[in-house]
Amino acid sequence: METAGLMAIGAGIAVLSGFGGGIGMGITGAKAIEAIARQPEVGGDARTLMFITFAFIETLTIYGLLIAFMLMGKMG
Amino acid sequence: MIFGMWDAVYFKLGPIPVDHIIVTQWVLIVLIGLIAFCSTRKMKVIPTGLQNAFEMIIVWTYDLFGQIMSKEHVAKRWTPLLSTFFLFILVSNYSGMIPGSSHIEGFQAPTSNWNVTMTLALITVFAVQIAGLSEHGIGGYLKHFVSPMPAMLPINILEEFTHPLSLTVRLFGNVLGEEMVIAFLMFMVPFLIPCTIMALGVLVGAIQAMVFALLSASYIASATSAGH
Repeated sequence: METAGLMAIGAGIAVLSGFGGGIGMGITGAKAIEAIARQPEVGGDARTLMFITFAFIETLTIYGLLIAFMLMGKMG
Repeated sequence: MIFGMWDAVYFKLGPIPVDHIIVTQWVLIVLIGLIAFCSTRKMKVIPTGLQNAFEMIIVWTYDLFGQIMSKEHVAKRWTPLLSTFFLFILVSNYSGMIPGSSHIEGFQAPTSNWNVTMTLALITVFAVQIAGLSEHGIGGYLKHFVSPMPAMLPINILEEFTHPLSLTVRLFGNVLGEEMVIAFLMFMVPFLIPCTIMALGVLVGAIQAMVFALLSASYIASATSAGH
């Protein structure tokens, strides 16, 4: 197989990092909602922490996206 | 030019090539400065209009960062920087969304270039070091590298390098990814469908601006906290 095709497959696989990130974000969001519903007075704190956790999870997903972009840039 | 990204250099300022992203940032800085100047020119005790809006933003960010830092004087010292991060990144993210901007050179969001986000992240890193130094002094600052035990030294040093890397990649990846998706949808379906992603982009732009400022705040908070 030619190199460009392999690169395209690699880019596709790299973006699969969104799979795990999606699951993680879902769990985080669900637990945060649960916490806020149980104790509405910690709403502000829980929301801030949720966003920070989202950011950390998202970084890993974005790393995959970055690799995909780099591969696409090499493909031309 | 890749996917509608221009790389034209207008002129050189000494060794620095000035391209459209730098010019866009200058315009944004002037814009924010003008709005801030206009809103604080005639300050009143009971605020109206622009002054009201600005006070709302400042008080909201101050509360948010103060809640994370939990030390009054640290929050007072570093909130101006973090609020500036928030405002600048917010306006930068939205500058790619002006109607017709994808056809004019120079209206690409500056934060979709990794040089810009890397600069912002480096400012954060230096701010974290200065905050740690001024809070604990030289001894305390060096001691936090070997806490909780000396074996953690390499990990603590590595952390100082991964923080700016993750800040850089997160902001730039989000904005660039969203722009790429819009560009690709524009290529396939030029009507209406890209608008849904742009609506999502408004949300993402605000959240990413907040996340950058929040993470900077939490890094500063962990550098100045007593137990670290």
